[in-house]
Amino acid sequence: MLGFCQGCAVLNRYAIRLPVRAKPGRQHGVVEDAGTRMVVLKRLSKIYARGGALVTALCEVDLDIKEGDFCAFVGPSGCGKSTLLNLVAGLDQPTSGEIILDGRSTVGFSNAEWTAMRRETIGIVFQAFHLVPALTAEENVALPLLLRGEGRRDVMKRVDEMLEMVGMSPRRSHRPGELSGGEQQRVAIARALAHRPRLLLADEPTGNLDSHQGAEIMTLLKTLATAGKQTVLLVTHSRHAAQTADYIWTMQDGRLVARIERTKEPVSL
Amino acid sequence: MAAVSFLKVLRLILAAQVFQRPLRTGLTVIGVALGVSASVAVRTANVDVLRSFEQAVLTVAGPTTLEISGGELGLDERIITAVRNVPGVRSSAPVILQTAVIERGDRQEAVQVLGLDLLAEVESRGFRLTGQSADRRLEAMLDPHTILLGKGLAAEWGVSVGETIDLQVGPGSVACKIIGLLEDATDRTALWNRLAVMDIAAAQVVFGMVGRLDRIDLVTEKDRGVEEVAQAVRAVVPPTVTVERPSSRTAQVDHMMRAFRLNVTVLSWVGLLVGMFLIYNTMAFAVAQRRREIGIYRAIGMTQARVAGLFLSEAAVLGLAGGLLGSAAGFLLARELVKLLSRTISDLYVPIGVGNGLALESDWLWRLASEGIFVGCAVSMIGSVGPSMNAARTAPVRALAPGDYEAGQRLRVGALGMGGFILLVLAGVLSMADPVDGVPLAGYASTLCLLAGLSCIAPICVTSWRRGIRPPGFQSTMGGIMRAIAIDHASRNPGRNGVSISALMVGLSIMIGVLVMIKSFRHTVEIWVSETVMADVIVAPSLWLRGTEAGSTGRSLPGSWAEVLSSIPGVAEVDTYRDVRVAVQGRRVAIVSRDLRIHARMSRYWVRQGDSASQLVRAADIDGVLVSEILADQLRIQEGDSLELVTPEGARRFPVVAVFYDYATDGGKILMDRRLYQSLWRDDLVTVFPVYLDRGADLDLVREHMAARLSDIGGRLPPLLISNAELRKEVLEIFDRTFLLTYVLEAIAVVIAMLGIVNTLVTSVLERQRELATLRAIGAGDRQIGQLVLWEAAYLGLIGIGLGLVGGGALAVLLIQVINKQSFGWTIHTIVPLGGILQAVGLAAAATLVAGYVPSRWAARQSIVEGLREE
Repeated sequence: MLGFCQGCAVLNRYAIRLPVRAKPGRQHGVVEDAGTRMVVLKRLSKIYARGGALVTALCEVDLDIKEGDFCAFVGPSGCGKSTLLNLVAGLDQPTSGEIILDGRSTVGFSNAEWTAMRRETIGIVFQAFHLVPALTAEENVALPLLLRGEGRRDVMKRVDEMLEMVGMSPRRSHRPGELSGGEQQRVAIARALAHRPRLLLADEPTGNLDSHQGAEIMTLLKTLATAGKQTVLLVTHSRHAAQTADYIWTMQDGRLVARIERTKEPVSL
Repeated sequence: MAAVSFLKVLRLILAAQVFQRPLRTGLTVIGVALGVSASVAVRTANVDVLRSFEQAVLTVAGPTTLEISGGELGLDERIITAVRNVPGVRSSAPVILQTAVIERGDRQEAVQVLGLDLLAEVESRGFRLTGQSADRRLEAMLDPHTILLGKGLAAEWGVSVGETIDLQVGPGSVACKIIGLLEDATDRTALWNRLAVMDIAAAQVVFGMVGRLDRIDLVTEKDRGVEEVAQAVRAVVPPTVTVERPSSRTAQVDHMMRAFRLNVTVLSWVGLLVGMFLIYNTMAFAVAQRRREIGIYRAIGMTQARVAGLFLSEAAVLGLAGGLLGSAAGFLLARELVKLLSRTISDLYVPIGVGNGLALESDWLWRLASEGIFVGCAVSMIGSVGPSMNAARTAPVRALAPGDYEAGQRLRVGALGMGGFILLVLAGVLSMADPVDGVPLAGYASTLCLLAGLSCIAPICVTSWRRGIRPPGFQSTMGGIMRAIAIDHASRNPGRNGVSISALMVGLSIMIGVLVMIKSFRHTVEIWVSETVMADVIVAPSLWLRGTEAGSTGRSLPGSWAEVLSSIPGVAEVDTYRDVRVAVQGRRVAIVSRDLRIHARMSRYWVRQGDSASQLVRAADIDGVLVSEILADQLRIQEGDSLELVTPEGARRFPVVAVFYDYATDGGKILMDRRLYQSLWRDDLVTVFPVYLDRGADLDLVREHMAARLSDIGGRLPPLLISNAELRKEVLEIFDRTFLLTYVLEAIAVVIAMLGIVNTLVTSVLERQRELATLRAIGAGDRQIGQLVLWEAAYLGLIGIGLGLVGGGALAVLLIQVINKQSFGWTIHTIVPLGGILQAVGLAAAATLVAGYVPSRWAARQSIVEGLREE
């Protein structure tokens, strides 16, 4: 399991976070196109200690995603897809490398800065929905707006709008325990998009749903993201779900190994 | 083989529990340890005080099998002649036991001085002498200005044989030459190290007791029964004199302070009760958290009994650790409690000296430590019975199914609430029952039912209030959302949260109940003091306020001083107050004599019926007595009855003119006119002179005159001249000292309750890691996560405080009307100390929030990714 490349081997050995070094060359998966960049990853690595052994989840990944792109990441379990998403969301800290979101480097970000980043710029959809069980559907959708300190009238207006968009208005007063999986994920999508994030991260959004519900959710996600001009990073096992994306990245052993642009031939990295 | 495997599994699981959850394990062990420490400390201090007293009695008694005692009035030494001729008496030895004060510079120390017939007893009392040669020593012993000093005392004071020390005694100051040092003949005790011994004749001179003795120690023939000889001795001594075994003095002291010790002991158990809640909480969460693990054990063949045994054993190990820590802490606490307890007992009952650290032998300490460890284990195992049974009953299929931790253990809150209601009714019924042999057993049972009843109601409050408190409709404010989440979460676990609320409720109930009782009692005592202590100046002997020291000479003044004091300008009246302890129907009762007519004019007694002045005059007119409320209740007598007393002139009946409230002692008091007392007891001494001044007289000036006149009389230690205000202050200080111990025990219970809240909230945070991680993932900051946990703490705290107020009020009524009344007999006039109650509530609220703060900070530091992975 140890080391996919020489750099990672060093990290594995010492399990330390290294400062970012801007080294030229080996630009895995860098998109050369010009335009506004929403997510830029530079030599991003993540190494975990598991039961005394060190596991490299992500190995010096470089990535550049433009604003408005809909990208899917596919690959076998444990290839580092979710780790990548967690690092971009600031839910976890990289061992080394740099993440630049919306033009801002996040190196040295404090907890509070990451919180602010998630509050303003990022929306997340989880595989297990993760709705707050104590709150009704509308309260769950209102939560990110309230966390931003928005006024009551604006919150109510936006909640109505979002529930309408995901088709959950009739079930707005229900608690998560009273909703089906598909309905819960609709509410989760509404919650993730309620504060108009510029970056939407979706981690296996159809993983807990049957194929019919899964297809519905992907269509909804695509429609809303396109309408809101959001950049989407989708992690999925499902080929069908991945087909919704503009770009499909294949991951293996913590590295990006291939990129497919839906309208073009696959590119080997 | 199976047992060995089970032990291995147990060891593995325990290690996992301790290392994976060190905070919660630590909190639980500390909670149990605190509960155990309070009970071990009180038990140790109680045993130590009694054992020290017993050891002192028996060591000094030596081979004595019977003691003849005249109490505070002493004995005529001629009795010894009659006693020696009683068949079965092998030897008789006169004894004087008094207190003197060693003084050098600013340093003073009270020392017990024993007057013995040294020529006859130097070898038989259990001490040996070092210093001079035996011949010269014996010769010197007969000199009235010589003394044998304990080796320890001599070392502390830096004096040696041949030097002279000044002793302040009742009649004055005496310079005594040290002619030898005392040490214990065996290593078993170190009592003689701290005593001083004089020859009996010298002691009689020094203490102004020529012709009188404190005691006669008898050694009876071995072939005669001790009780048989005692009967024969009683026949030749005056009826007021007691003849008893030395050990019965310990039994008397034990009996006298039984109620006090019992109440303190019961209070010390509150900590254990609250600790039990803590254990329940920890084990309930452990069972819920390891539901899947239990399912696996059951699926691979572990029996229900083994599963229950697993959790019970785990609780026992926590209890063992708590018991060990608690016993050690208990001994440390006991070192301080011994001083407090012996001071209180000396203030309230008999002078037993102030203990200085623990004096118990190591076998006793081992025994008490073993008890503490056993109690720790027992409390833990009892607290974990419910969760362990729950674990055993878990069906494997259900346990292995995904779902919430608590899914498998829904609490029947309705049934539990009904049980609580029944317990509350039972508490009411029990509160009306009579005491058993003077012990308010039903009162204690009623208290237990009250607290258990309210505990059973706690879960239903958690679930019902949720429905009441959450406003209907859409919560569109951050505060509303946070409250809704916190309340919903708290109410999802009525069992575990109910237990934490119960712990807080018990802590607060005890705090409020005891506070109301003490404040009411203090208020009553203040009224009693202000209404009955009217004298402007109290002239008292030098040792009067040293309640802890033995001996009567430092506690009395000559009656002739009344005339001297009356002649001082500015003095209007001088009363003569004499207070001696006598046995009345097997009880140690204070006979108080004074000039009732003066008292009727100048002051009053707080009588139960009628007017104080007329009752006092009537008692003086008809040779009647007034009886304290406690004694009247104990002897079942009332106004108009008569009371038989054994006087030196024989048994005599006295009409009971009135019953009065008295809060000086729970031993009972009989008041009579001084003329009547003197005619029967022939005692001219006075304990204190209450002096009333002319209107407008200058208190300080009169005191100066008094001091000057009394020093002119000479020969005595300067008496204390205490003003009315100073005396009232002293009375209240004694009162406050008495209840200091109560506050200490109460504080321990409250601290354990707070640990319960911390434990609950840490558990709650652990359980909600996914929810908290979700909130953080969608933009909640550390402050908001902290607020969420604090809201939950506030919700639990609010219910606990509400129930605590109800419990505290009911407990106050039980303590004042049932337990205190049945234990001591005092009537306490209830007041509601609103300020104190608000402080207690504020303290509980603040403590709850502080208890919530730690988990809230901790929650904000947890990994979001790990949290999102939690099931």
